[in-house]
Amino acid sequence: MATFFGEVLSVYSRAVEEDDDDLDDENEDERIHREIEEKREVHIVWCPEVAQSLEDSGSNTLQCSDLIIAVGTNAAGFLSAYVLNTESWDAVGHVSLWNERSRGSSRQSIAPLPGEPACLFYRHRDNPAVLVCQSTCYIAEDQLFQWTEKVFGCLQKRGLSVMVLSDSPVAEYKTPDYLYGSAVPFLRSLKSSASKGQALCPALEQPNILTGLPAAVLSHCQVHQIPAVLYQCYTDVISPDSITMETYKPALLCLSKLVKLEPCLSADVLRKFAIITEAQSNLYT
Amino acid sequence: MATRYDRAITVFSPDGHLFQVEYAQEAVKKGSTAVGIRGTDIVVLGVEKKSVAKLQEERTVRKICTLDDHVCMAFAGLTADARIVINRARVECQSHRLTVEDPVTVEYITRHIATLKQRYTQSNGRRPFGISALIVGFDCDGTPRLYQTDPSGTYHAWKANAIGRSAKTVREFLEKNYTDEAIATDNESIKLAIKALLEVVQSGGKNIELAVIRRNQPLKLLESKEIETLVTEIEKEKEDEAEKKKQKKST
Repeated sequence: MATFFGEVLSVYSRAVEEDDDDLDDENEDERIHREIEEKREVHIVWCPEVAQSLEDSGSNTLQCSDLIIAVGTNAAGFLSAYVLNTESWDAVGHVSLWNERSRGSSRQSIAPLPGEPACLFYRHRDNPAVLVCQSTCYIAEDQLFQWTEKVFGCLQKRGLSVMVLSDSPVAEYKTPDYLYGSAVPFLRSLKSSASKGQALCPALEQPNILTGLPAAVLSHCQVHQIPAVLYQCYTDVISPDSITMETYKPALLCLSKLVKLEPCLSADVLRKFAIITEAQSNLYT
Repeated sequence: MATRYDRAITVFSPDGHLFQVEYAQEAVKKGSTAVGIRGTDIVVLGVEKKSVAKLQEERTVRKICTLDDHVCMAFAGLTADARIVINRARVECQSHRLTVEDPVTVEYITRHIATLKQRYTQSNGRRPFGISALIVGFDCDGTPRLYQTDPSGTYHAWKANAIGRSAKTVREFLEKNYTDEAIATDNESIKLAIKALLEVVQSGGKNIELAVIRRNQPLKLLESKEIETLVTEIEKEKEDEAEKKKQKKST
């Protein structure tokens, strides 16, 4: 810059420069972000046999023909009561993750205790290509993509077919007509375009949408052209309840083609999986 | 945008709804079914018994309560709200007796309860009572009465009505079957109440509780044995009906 008297002065650039102090702050920010990311990372922990099969296969994937995912306590309870009640299922893995609502154990290798919200994998002994996943813990929006990528990353895409069962409160079901009490709980379905075949209940009407894990799974299947069908059960009960679990029965038709199911379920078994809140809850008479 | 008008109950929505009151009516549907029948010389209240926890004293879980010697009510909805309403009604019944030296008419006490409920739909910071009530009794002149109130504070007289879960099914049954011959005798009126409840109650007679008031008599809770006998009678009548129909078809 030339001054009034003709001397030339160097001018300080007004562009923000990174001082030594700033560098430390940035590093600290980066460090904090990295720590949070690591904390929120989704880890899949497989049992030794499955980990071995993954290693042995060249592509680090399992051969899987059918993946059944249950999201929510009623869907998980339905699978526990109707499908996983025989002795022929092995627990083969779990997903360990942390978020504000799902404080998973800080050590990944510890499997979740029964009854705790968790994400568990089961495999059928006679037909190891059939995998069941029960997800009762909350998975945050930022973790959904990771979950889907990591889980589907372990499975061979060829020949894979997915079924998702998910719970939802009926208060979130939008319809122009009034829903009488007798209609609830009910099922609605959604399919990926690769899925041929009839769904066993009416399709989910507009403007209703799916959110959370079921939506992430279905989106992934749609993008990767995996045939997938989802059954969403709308219920007015907050806790696991036997009537809501029985609403998923139409799905048994598909499941019975894959694995041998208990022919007839006594009401007692079902009640075991439903929390008996009815008797203890004196809120309503 | 229903959600914006939920919070303060004194606010109307643009299309004229009071959403909190409507939601309170949903809470009523979470209670078990109660049915009321007005006969010629008897009024009957029948309720679906709630399953009681093993260690709970059954007699403290009651859906049918007396308000006075000649008036009683059954409710459906929030238990705690019902307790408050019943206490206020009982006090009012006695206060009325002391002040005017006459027992309350069924309509008077129903109006009192309904006014109380309405007050809670028009103040801020308070939510409506989440109960509907069936109030039955006899007036001094011997007329049987049945009234129903709901969380909005409205009340109406009925010949027969039902509240709570599956009330719609029971009401439809009553609309078809409430005839003059169905209430011709006391026994028939009681059987009508049981038949109506059997439409919606699982596992039959042992989950039904029944109370009757006869003219100039206090409330009587029927014993489970009596109810079982009546249920057996009803089932036999149904079988006979079915037999007759079969025979008619074959001839």
